[in-house]
Amino acid sequence: MKEGHNQIQTSKFGMVIDLDKCTGCGACMVACMSENNVPFREDESDKLLSITWMRVYQISNGKPYPDNEICYLPRPCMHCEGHAGHSPCVSVCPATATDYDSASGIVSQIYTRCFGCRYCMGACPYHARYFNWWDPVWPKGMEQYLSPNVSPRMRGIVEKCSFCFHRYQLARDKAYYEGRRTIKEEEYQSACTQACPAGAITFGDLLNPGHKVHQMVLPDLNHHGRPRNPHAFRLLERLGTNPKVYYLSGREWVRRAGDNYVQGEKQAEHH
Amino acid sequence: MDSALIPKGVKRCPTWQFLLWIGIVGAVLLWGVYAMLLCWIKGLNQTNMNDYYGFALWIWADLAVIALGGGAFFTGFLRYVVGKDELKNIINYAVLIGFICYSSALLILAIDVGQPLRSWYIFWHANVHSMLTEVAFCLSCYFGVLCIEYIPLVLENRQLDRVPFFHRLGHNMHEIMAIFAATGAFLSFFHQGSLGGVAGVMFGRPFAFREHLLVWPYTFFLFTWSAAACGPCFTLLITHITEAITGKRLVKDNVKDLLGKISGWMLGTYIIAKIIDTWYWAAVTAPSKGFTLMEFYSDNAFYGIWILVTEIVICGVLPAVILMIGPLRRNRPLFLSAIILACIGVCLNRWVMVLQIMAAPVMPFDNWALYLPSWQEVATTILPVAYGIILIMISYRYMPVFPQEQELNPVVE
Amino acid sequence: MKIDRRSFLSLGIGAAAGTALSPLPWKITDDLSIWSQNWPWTPVPQDGEATYVNSVCTLCPGGCGISVRKIDDRAVKIEGMKGFPINDGGICILGLSGLQLLYGPTRIASPLKRTGKRGEGAFQAVSWKQAISEVVDKLSSLRKEGKPHTVAGISGEREGTTGRLFKRFLTAYGSPNFMHVPSAADASEQVLYLMHGQGTTLGMDLENADYILSFSAGLLDGWGSPVRMFKANSRLKDKKGKLVQIEPRLSSTAAKADKWLPITPGAEGALALGLAHVIIAESLHNREFIENYTSGFEAFANYVRNGFSPDIVAQITGIPKAGIVSLAREFAGASRPVAICGRGQGDTPGALCEAVAVHALNALVGNINRTGGVWSVAQPVDFNWSQVWPDEPARMGLARKRIDGAGGPLLPQSLLNRFPQAVNGKNPYEVQALLVSNANPLYTMRDVESVKKAFDRIGFIVSFSSYMDETAQYSDLILPNHHYLERYEVVEGIKGMTSPFIGMAKPVVKPLYNTRHTADVIIELASELKGTVAAAFPWASYEACLKQTLGYKVNALAEDGYWMDGGYMPPDWSNAFKTPSGKFEFNLSPFKHKVYTHPEGDPSIFPLVLIPYDSLRLANDQIGNAPFMTKTVADTVLQKSDAVVEINPETGKQLRLAEGSLAVLKTPKKTVKVAVHLSQGVGPGIVAVPRGLGHLGNDRYLAGKGVNVNDLIGPVDDVVSGLDAAWGIRASLAKS
Repeated sequence: MKEGHNQIQTSKFGMVIDLDKCTGCGACMVACMSENNVPFREDESDKLLSITWMRVYQISNGKPYPDNEICYLPRPCMHCEGHAGHSPCVSVCPATATDYDSASGIVSQIYTRCFGCRYCMGACPYHARYFNWWDPVWPKGMEQYLSPNVSPRMRGIVEKCSFCFHRYQLARDKAYYEGRRTIKEEEYQSACTQACPAGAITFGDLLNPGHKVHQMVLPDLNHHGRPRNPHAFRLLERLGTNPKVYYLSGREWVRRAGDNYVQGEKQAEHH
Repeated sequence: MDSALIPKGVKRCPTWQFLLWIGIVGAVLLWGVYAMLLCWIKGLNQTNMNDYYGFALWIWADLAVIALGGGAFFTGFLRYVVGKDELKNIINYAVLIGFICYSSALLILAIDVGQPLRSWYIFWHANVHSMLTEVAFCLSCYFGVLCIEYIPLVLENRQLDRVPFFHRLGHNMHEIMAIFAATGAFLSFFHQGSLGGVAGVMFGRPFAFREHLLVWPYTFFLFTWSAAACGPCFTLLITHITEAITGKRLVKDNVKDLLGKISGWMLGTYIIAKIIDTWYWAAVTAPSKGFTLMEFYSDNAFYGIWILVTEIVICGVLPAVILMIGPLRRNRPLFLSAIILACIGVCLNRWVMVLQIMAAPVMPFDNWALYLPSWQEVATTILPVAYGIILIMISYRYMPVFPQEQELNPVVE
Repeated sequence: MKIDRRSFLSLGIGAAAGTALSPLPWKITDDLSIWSQNWPWTPVPQDGEATYVNSVCTLCPGGCGISVRKIDDRAVKIEGMKGFPINDGGICILGLSGLQLLYGPTRIASPLKRTGKRGEGAFQAVSWKQAISEVVDKLSSLRKEGKPHTVAGISGEREGTTGRLFKRFLTAYGSPNFMHVPSAADASEQVLYLMHGQGTTLGMDLENADYILSFSAGLLDGWGSPVRMFKANSRLKDKKGKLVQIEPRLSSTAAKADKWLPITPGAEGALALGLAHVIIAESLHNREFIENYTSGFEAFANYVRNGFSPDIVAQITGIPKAGIVSLAREFAGASRPVAICGRGQGDTPGALCEAVAVHALNALVGNINRTGGVWSVAQPVDFNWSQVWPDEPARMGLARKRIDGAGGPLLPQSLLNRFPQAVNGKNPYEVQALLVSNANPLYTMRDVESVKKAFDRIGFIVSFSSYMDETAQYSDLILPNHHYLERYEVVEGIKGMTSPFIGMAKPVVKPLYNTRHTADVIIELASELKGTVAAAFPWASYEACLKQTLGYKVNALAEDGYWMDGGYMPPDWSNAFKTPSGKFEFNLSPFKHKVYTHPEGDPSIFPLVLIPYDSLRLANDQIGNAPFMTKTVADTVLQKSDAVVEINPETGKQLRLAEGSLAVLKTPKKTVKVAVHLSQGVGPGIVAVPRGLGHLGNDRYLAGKGVNVNDLIGPVDDVVSGLDAAWGIRASLAKS
C-alpha cells in the first residue's frame, strides 16, 4: 500500500437494476421526487419538460400483436466515470458546477454554481439532466413536506439524480461519530432502491466484493467496469461513458435494446 | 441638421429619411428587447426549448453570427499579417460587421443562459477541460480586440477627430493595429475552433462526436476553417447589400475579387476536409458506436439527407468552384450567388451541428425530437439583426467606413 | 462654471473610468450573483430534529407498514417499514405520495355547508357543533316520521372498525341500507360461501406457489395487496417459477409474465372451464384430493366435458386449441400451481361463474389448504361488541327491504352497484338521506351520470371525506375526517393474506385542520340521537372503542403496528369445509347462465370493444392521484388534458387514426374526446382506456385531465350474485 493512503475509503457506488423484476410501477420515480424535493407543475404530460431524475422508460421488442413484448427500464443518472472521471457532462461544464467525486464515484451537481448553459444536457446521451425552466412552486402549505437535506433548486439551472448523495453524507457522518472509516452497505442506500416494491434495484459499492452489486455484475475493473455477468449490461456501453448503473435481464432482446448495433452486427462479447 | 457630423466629401440621405428608417428598424429592435426582457424576467420557459433541446435557435444564431463575423479576423489577418494591402479598403467594414456579430453573440448568450447574473462563474470557476470555457475566454478577449479595432473608426468622425486627444489616440491605435489584428486572429482561431469543439467533444452523442487531433476534435479545425472561408463572404455580401441600398459603389472590384478568390480557395480546401471528415465519421466513427449514416438522416423529412447534400455540395463545392475560377468569379450574378451560398452553407453547418445533434436520439428506445422556436426566441434572434442594421446605418452615415467611397462617388457641388 | 463639450466629455469618461476602477461594479456583480442563489421565492426547508414514526398506510386496502420521516413537526418523507410482514420496506407509488395529499390543496379544512346549487362547489365553513346538529336534526326527524330506512350509508371499507361502527350506527338507527364499495373480494367471498361453505376471506400463498395462472388479475398492476404481490413475483422469478397471464391487453403484469396469452375480453371463465375439461379428460387432476375432500365432481366433469371442449373454448377465447391443451397440462403438472382471478386491480367483482370456474381449477389440482395454495382465513378480530337492541322505530325500519335488494342466503350483503337504478327506478321507497364515508361513488361507480341522477333525488347527502372529491363537492354537508396520517385506524381483511392479520394506523402528525375522526363523529351522532342509538355506542371515543375491541392485541399493535397470527395453519380436513357435504363442493349453480358475458351495446353501431385498464400510476379508487403520481403518467396515457386510448395499429388503419390523433369515443353511455395511441399490446377491435383519469374534483393538478372510464361503462348485474359483472362495453371510435 502506498504511503499517505487516503483517509477516505475509495468507493464506486453503483446500481444494479433487474429488468426482469421491474414492473414499471413508478415507485422509484416518486420515491426520488419526494426524497429530493423535485418540483411539479399542473401539466407534466410533455415529458421533455418534466423533471424526473429517475425516469422509467418502456421498451419493446418491436414485434406485432400478439408477439409484442415490453420491458420497463428505469433510468437514473448513470454517474458515468468516462475515462478517469471525464464523464460526458463533467468534462463539458464550463463552470465546474458538476464534478466527478473520485472518492465515491458520484457525479455531483452544484446548483448555486450552475448558471444554466445546458451544455451538460446536450452532452448526456441518457437525458438524465433536467433544466428548471420554471421557478419551482409548491401549492400553499405543500412546502411543509420539503426535506431540509436537499435544497430546492432555483429557476434557470440544471439538476439530476445525485444517487441521494445527502444520504451518503449522513451515513459518513454517522460512521465518523462512531469511529468507523467505512460505512456499511445498508447504511447508504438510495431512496429508489429502498422503495422499490419489487426489490429490483440493488445499490452499493462496486469495488467492494462483499457488496451485492459487485457480486451481481462482477465488474471487470481492468476494462472500465464492464460486467462479467453475461446477463448484465450497461446502457450505451459502446460510447465509452463507463456508467455505474447496470441492468440485468435474461431476455436477449432486452440486453440488445441497451445499445446501438449496425444491422447484422452481433452484440459485443463481454470480456 | 446633422451635416456637421457627416464625413466631408460624401453624400448622405436627408435626415428625415435616415430617422424614418432608424425608426422602422428600431421598432423591430424594441420588439426584440421586449422578448429579451420576457426571457430575463419570466425565465426560459418563454422559449420552446426543452430538456432534449438544451441548445436551440439561439445557440445556432450564436454559432452562425460568429462564423459570419469571421470576416473580421480573417480579413484582418490577411491585411496586417499576410500583408494584402488592398484589403485596407474593406477592413473597416469587416471590423464593423465583426463587431456587430460578436456583440450580438454575447447578447444572445446573455439571454440564453438560465442564470445570467452569475454567468461570470465561467471565468471564476473555469473548468479548463470545457470547450465552452475556451470559447468564453477567447470570445470575450476577442470582443475586446474588436472594440479596440472599432474605436479608431469611431474617432475618425469629423467632430470627434477635432478633439486633439481623440485624434492622437486614433492615430496611435492605427499604428499598433497590426498587433491587435494578429492577437485577434490568434484568439479567433481558438474560439472559432472551440465552438466546433463544443460539438465534437460530446462523446455521448455519436452524431456530434469526432475523432481528436491532440486535444481537439476535427470539428475544431473545420469550424475555424469554415469561418475563415465564409466570414469574408459575409463581409462581401453585406458590402453588396450596402451598395445596393445606397446606390453607390463603395469598394473597388479588385478588392472584392481578391477577397472572393481567397475565400474560394479557403472554401475549396475546407470542403475537401469536410468531405473527408464526413466520410471518416460515416464509415468509421459512427459505426464503431453502432450507428449507420442513414440512421441520422432518415427519420423525418426535415433532417433528411438533403441537409447534408445541400451543405456540402450546393453550399460548399459549388460556391468554392465559382470563387476559385477567375472567369466565373468575375461574373457578377455568379459571384453574388456564390457568396450567398457560402453564407447559407456555413449557417446550415452550424444548424446541423447544434440542432440535429439534439434531434437525433442516442438511446435505441428513444425518439427523434423536433422543435419549433417560440416567438420570443425568434424576436430575440432578430433583435441583433435590427441592432446591426442600426449600427451600420449610424457608422456609415457618420464615419468614413469606406476609404474608396469618395473616389468612386465624387460629389458634384 | 461653463461646461463645454470638451469638459463634459472628459468628465463623463473620467466618471466612467473612476467607477470601473472602484470596487463598486465588482461588489454589485458579486451581490447580484449571491442574490440569484438565494431568491426569496424559492423555499428553503427548515432544518430540525429528524425522527421516524411508524404507521400503516390506509390509502388502499393493501395494509403496508410505513415509516414516516419527520423534521420537528413536519412529515417530510414516507418510506416502507422494514420488517413489516406485508411489504418489508417496499412501498408503492401511492403510498409514497401520501404527503402531497396531507399537505395538498385538496384537503377540507373544516366542516362545510353547501350554499350554492348542488355540485356548484359553493360552501361555507360551519362549526362542528352546527354540522353535527344539522345531521342529528335530519336523522331524528326521519326517525320521527317512521322513515329511518330511508337513510342509506356508503362506506369504502368492507371491514375495519370505522366501517363496522358506521354499519352499527345505521342498524341502531333503524336502516338496513349500509352498503360498501364492491370489489373482487365480494365475488371471492361468494365463492368461498358456495364451495367452502363459509364466507371469510380467501388467503393465497403466492409466496410459495411455483406456477401462477392469472385470469386477468393485475398482480403487478395493483391487485390485492400490491407490494406483497410484487415481492411474491420477484420471489417467483428468483426460484424460476412461472407466471402465466391471461389478459386481453399487454398490461404490466402480462409484460412481466413468463407467458402472455391474449384472450377475447370476458372469456376468462370459459377458458378456466376449458382447462378443466383438458385436465379431467387427460386425468391430470389430483385424484387424492378429489376423491377424499370434494363433492359434485362428476356433475362438474360432465358439465365441462359437454360444453367446454378445447375446440369450443378456442372459439370463445381466441386462444388456439393447442395453447389451451398445453396450458392445462403445464398447470396441472406444476408442483404448486395456483389460479387466481379478479380483473385488473380487482376493484370490480365480475361474474360469479368466472370466479367459481377459476377456483374449481385450484380444487382440480388439489391446491386447497396446502402450502403454495389457497385457503380460507379466519377473521383476525372477534368483534365482541354488545348486541344492538333496536327500539321500535328502528325495528320497523330494519324490517324493510334493502334498497339495493342485497342480503338473503345466496346474495352478498351489499350491492352498491344496484343502488342508483333502485333510487332512479322502481324503488320500494324514496331515499331521503345518504351518508358517505371513505368513498367517492360519484367517481368510482359505473355510469356516473346515473349515480348523479340518483343523488339528485336524495334530499340530504353528507360526506365524511378528507378531500374535496367529486362526492364531497356534490354533498350538502361535509364533516371532514382526519387525514390518514392524522388518525388511528384498524386495518383488517387484507386481500389474499394467508394468516389472520390486523394493522394499526396511527397519527403521524397532529391534525392540520379543524377535522374529526369519522368514527368519533359517528359516536357523537349516536349519542346526540339518544336512546337505543346512543346505548349501542358505549364508548366515549373511537380510541376507547379500539382499546376494548382489540384487547390484548393493543400492545402488539402499538409496538409493531400489526398483529398477526404467525402460526396460523390452514384448517385441517375435518374442519375445512362448512358445506352441507362437509367437503369442497363443485357448485354448479352459478353456471345456470352463460359463462361468457357479452358487453352492453349494439355491435352494428358500436363495432369495437372497450376495456378499462388499471395502472399503479393512476389511483382510481376514492383517493385521487397526487401530483407526483400524475407526473409519472406516460404520454401514451395522458396528453395535456386528453386521455389516450390504446388501439391496435390495424384498427387505427381501418379508422384512419394515426398515433396521437384526436378521436371521438362513443359508448352507449357517453361520448368523449380522446387521443389515440397505436399499441401492439392490444388486439384488433379493442379500445383500452386507462382508469383513474377524468376527475372533476380534488385539485387543479388532477381535475380536468382525461376522461373517467366509469362514465363510459354501465353496470351489468350478474344473474346469480347481483354483483356487477361488467368488464367493458361496446364502443365506436372516429376521427374528430
